[in-house]
Order: sequence, then C-alpha cells, then structure tokens
Amino acid sequence: MLTLESVHTYYGHIHALKGISLTVNEGEIVTLIGSNGAGKTTTLNTISGVLSARAGAIYLQEGDHSRRSPSAGGEHDLRLDRLPAHEVARLGVSQSPEGRKIFARLSVRENLAMGAFARTDRDGISGDLDRVLELFPRLQERLSQPGGTLSGGEQQMLAIGRALMSSPRILLLDEPSMGLAPILVQQIFQIIREINAQGTTILLVEQNAQAALQVANRGYVLETGNIVLSGAARDLLADPQVAEAYLGI
Amino acid sequence: MTSSPVKAQAAGTDGRAALKQFTRALGVAIVLLVIWRVTTVGLAEGYPVSFWISQALNGLVLGGVYALVALGYTLVYGILFMINFAHGEVMMIGGITGFFALQFAQARGWMEGPWPVVVVALLLIMFVGMAASVVIGVTLERLAYRPLRQAPRLVPLISAIGASLFLQYSVLLIFGVSPHSYRKPALISGGLRLGDVFIPYTGAIIFVTSILLMLALFFIIQRTKLGRAMRAVAEDRSTASLMGVDVNAVIVVTFMLGSALAGAAGVMLGFHNTVVKFNSGFIPGLKAFTAAVLGGIGNIPGAMFGALILGLIEAIGPSALGIPTEYKDVIAFTLLVLILIFRPTGLFGEVLSEKKA
Repeated sequence: MLTLESVHTYYGHIHALKGISLTVNEGEIVTLIGSNGAGKTTTLNTISGVLSARAGAIYLQEGDHSRRSPSAGGEHDLRLDRLPAHEVARLGVSQSPEGRKIFARLSVRENLAMGAFARTDRDGISGDLDRVLELFPRLQERLSQPGGTLSGGEQQMLAIGRALMSSPRILLLDEPSMGLAPILVQQIFQIIREINAQGTTILLVEQNAQAALQVANRGYVLETGNIVLSGAARDLLADPQVAEAYLGI
Repeated sequence: MTSSPVKAQAAGTDGRAALKQFTRALGVAIVLLVIWRVTTVGLAEGYPVSFWISQALNGLVLGGVYALVALGYTLVYGILFMINFAHGEVMMIGGITGFFALQFAQARGWMEGPWPVVVVALLLIMFVGMAASVVIGVTLERLAYRPLRQAPRLVPLISAIGASLFLQYSVLLIFGVSPHSYRKPALISGGLRLGDVFIPYTGAIIFVTSILLMLALFFIIQRTKLGRAMRAVAEDRSTASLMGVDVNAVIVVTFMLGSALAGAAGVMLGFHNTVVKFNSGFIPGLKAFTAAVLGGIGNIPGAMFGALILGLIEAIGPSALGIPTEYKDVIAFTLLVLILIFRPTGLFGEVLSEKKA
C-alpha cells in the first residue's frame, strides 16, 4: 500500500536518510525501530511531506474512493514525494507527530475538528468523532478544554484521535509511548491494536522496541539512516542482534 | 587566567542592569510628570464635563479606526511573527482608491440622491477601497514577504519598510503631493446634539462600522473552519499542514482579511480627516502598531482594546496635560515607549512569551 524506494533525505548538508526502502501492506502494523538519531522521525516526515526527499520515490496505492490529487502522477500508484504535506494528508496519509504537537490554544473539540479539516462529509466526521471518543473516553470530558491543559497521556490520546479524524488509509504514529507512565503505555498499545483491527493500516515508529514488536506484524530496524534488518516482528523479537541493541536484554 | 572573562561578563550584566534601572527610572519619571501635569494644569483649567465627553467620543471614533488597522498588524504577526510595516500604506491606498470612487459617485450625482442611494454608494466606496487594499496586501505578501519566509527575522522587517517607502512614493509619483479631499455628502455632514455634547454623524457611522467589522472578524476567527485553520497555523505551521491545511493559502487569507479592514479604515479616515495623500497612512499606521503593542501583539481582542484606549488617550491627553493638540503624536509614542519599558507583552498579552519571542 505504501512503498518507499531508496529514499534519501537531507537536513542541509547532513545526509539523514541514506536510501531507505520499505513497504507497508494494507491492514498491517509495521514498526520502525531504532535508537535516537537513526532517522525514524525523518522517515515519517519524509513520507508525510514535511521534509522532501532528495532522491528516491514514495508511492501510495490509489484508494478505492477517488481522493486523487491532480498533481500526483502514476497509473495505479500515487507518487507522494513530490507533493506538499497538505496534499499528502488529503490522500489519506495521517501522522500523529512526535511530541504530540497538540494545538495548545484550541479546544480539544477544535483539535479533533482540525484532524478532519480536509473532509466535507458531515455524517462521516461526526461518526468518526463518536468512534474516537469511544476509543478515548477521557477526551469526552475535556472537549471544551484547551488542548494545552491536558496531561501528557491525554495529549497523546488527542494526537492519535486527531490523526484518526481524517479517516486515514494509513496512520503514521511517531513515538506514541514517549514520556508516558507504564500503565498508559500498555493502554496506548492496546488502542493501536484496536485501531488496526478496525481496518486502519499503521506505520509505527518506536523506541520502545519490545512493545512495538509485540503489536506489529513486521518490523524494520533503522541505524544511522540505513535499514539494517527487517522481517516478521516475531523473528525480530527473537533475533539476538536486536535483543542486544534494542530490547535491553 | 579564567577570572577575566568572568569579570567581563559580570561587568556586562552590571551594565545591562544599570541600563534597565535607568529606563525604569525614566519611565517612572514620565509617569510622575504626567500625573503632575494632569493635576496641576489639565484639571485646573476647569473644562465642563460635556467637553470631556465630546473628547472621549472623538477618541472612540479614532480608536475604532486604529483598531481596524491594528488588527491587520496583529493578524499577520500572529501567523508570521513579522511586523508588516507597510500596513499603513495598505490603508492609505484604500483611502486613495476610495477617494476616486467617491469622485465617480459624485460625478454621477449619487451623493445628492435619496438616502438609500447615498447609503449604497457609500458602502460601494468602502468596498472599492477594501478591494484595492486587499490587492495591495496580497501582492506584498507574495512579492515582498513570501520569498523571505525562511530568512532571519530582521530581513522581512527591512523588506516591509522598503515596501512602505515604495508604496508611498509610487502614490506620490502617480497622484502628486497635493491632498485629495473627501467631500462628505449632505446626508452625513450634520450631527446629533445631546445637551452640550455634539456627535457628528460621520463619527457615529465610523464607530459603528468599525465595531461591526471587528465583530465579523471575530466571528470568522472563532466560529468558522477557516478561522480555526488560521489559529492552528498561527500555533504550529507544520502540524497544521499535516492536517491537510494549505498553509500558504491560509497566510494569503490572513493578509486579505487584514488588508480589507485596513482599506475600510482608509476610506473612513478619509471622511474623518477629509483629506488623503501619499503619506497619510504613515502616522496612523504607526499609531495602530502602537495600539497593537499596547494590547499585546498577536492578541486579537488586545488589538481592539489597545486601539480604543490609545484613541481615548490621544483625544483626552492634550487637554488633560494642558498641551497643544499638535502634540498628540508625542503622547501616543511616549505611551509606546512606556509599554516597551514596563510591559513589553502588552496589557492583554502573554502570547509573546510562549515560543515566539
């Protein structure tokens, strides 16, 4: 569904992604693990168009409902790497960014409405709002509160909920467990599984490799801008290299 | 060996602390001077209450116009964190264009027609002025600011000052030095007398129109999808783009809204001052900027109240201090200095301190 072909991304002169290739199939949870500075967030930001790839290509399989942007080329695949972020978002790629990036001065309800910014189907939006509030009942009580007043865990829920409000074809989650209490981490991963079970494809970036590999179907291990290992999540969990470097065993 | 840089640094902070103390002392001195003048001179003159009321009403009218312009500064600052110093000129061009629209209407005798014709014609004149300002504002954004979006913050500021001068002298070149005078239609040239207080119709119309336009803006920003997108972009551009918001489009719309308000202000100021010329946007522009800073720049209600307060101070100040009205500009800009010394974030603002400053 989503394919990266030897993607190179730079920050000025710094070569951050050195030819990343990966695939996410429809209905999967794929995780991207690696240490700080390996390029996980850079990969997500390159997919969503916040950063632009200098070389390589990113393809998104065309959806059934034609939300096709006129400027995207290709026969069956839409090419994402030439599009600005807002057009990528409109094609059904939704990101819950690192550090949550809640709009602090907008109310929780307005934050969720921002998630549905590109949509015009009123019924669909209110249906998704109900679904998000069902997933995160805590948000229900805080709907009219400014986003900035929420606790860290609640903000993470809001960030994921906001990303879901666009009714995405693929959800990019960047470090959803960062800075959360262990009990909340468990809860968040439970919810990720639930979202996936409801039919959303997920690309999950995590430092918590253990938890990520437990929910994922497949995983990629990123090291200084290169993919060094990939495979079924089960196999990666059992891999002694991964265990040593990322699982702290 | 290592002690000398430390000492130098200490001397530096000492110097800065001393400077800060000096500016504070200066500020206190100015405030005391003002209090002394007001009590010994201003109040001693013994003006009647109706005089103060009239002055205050004048102040509100002027404040309403400033508010419209101040909103443009604050909207653009809220989103781009830059001061659009050419905003006064955007207003002036609205005023100049409004003058030609007025001339057009007068030539066709609309201004002497029955009152509905006059009202519609006045609205059209204001609309033409607003449209001209919108064109100029959007062009400015495209040509003078957007290419500098990634540049250090001082660069677009310099570009804005350049744009301001360019616009002033372009108008000078095209329309000459001589002022264009707005002739009020008979319908709105009178006024209302309430006891000893005289309220000119134009003043009342300007004030009411300003308030209506501000309410419209407030509605757009707080209650519409567009306004929500504007607020989101103001907080975090790249996250807003992840939501599918076309950030450039939102910035253009912001300039359009700010410029439209400035254009309306330009036309109304034309009727209020009865003349417009190439530099008649400059001082009101700076005043509106002062008002925006007074309210806390980036803060929308702040700009509105800051402008009304500034208008009041400017109208009442000269008589209260017992100085000629020509010095009202001194009062406004002294106020700016005082705010910058004592409350740089403005009366209503903490917005600045969060992440932008």
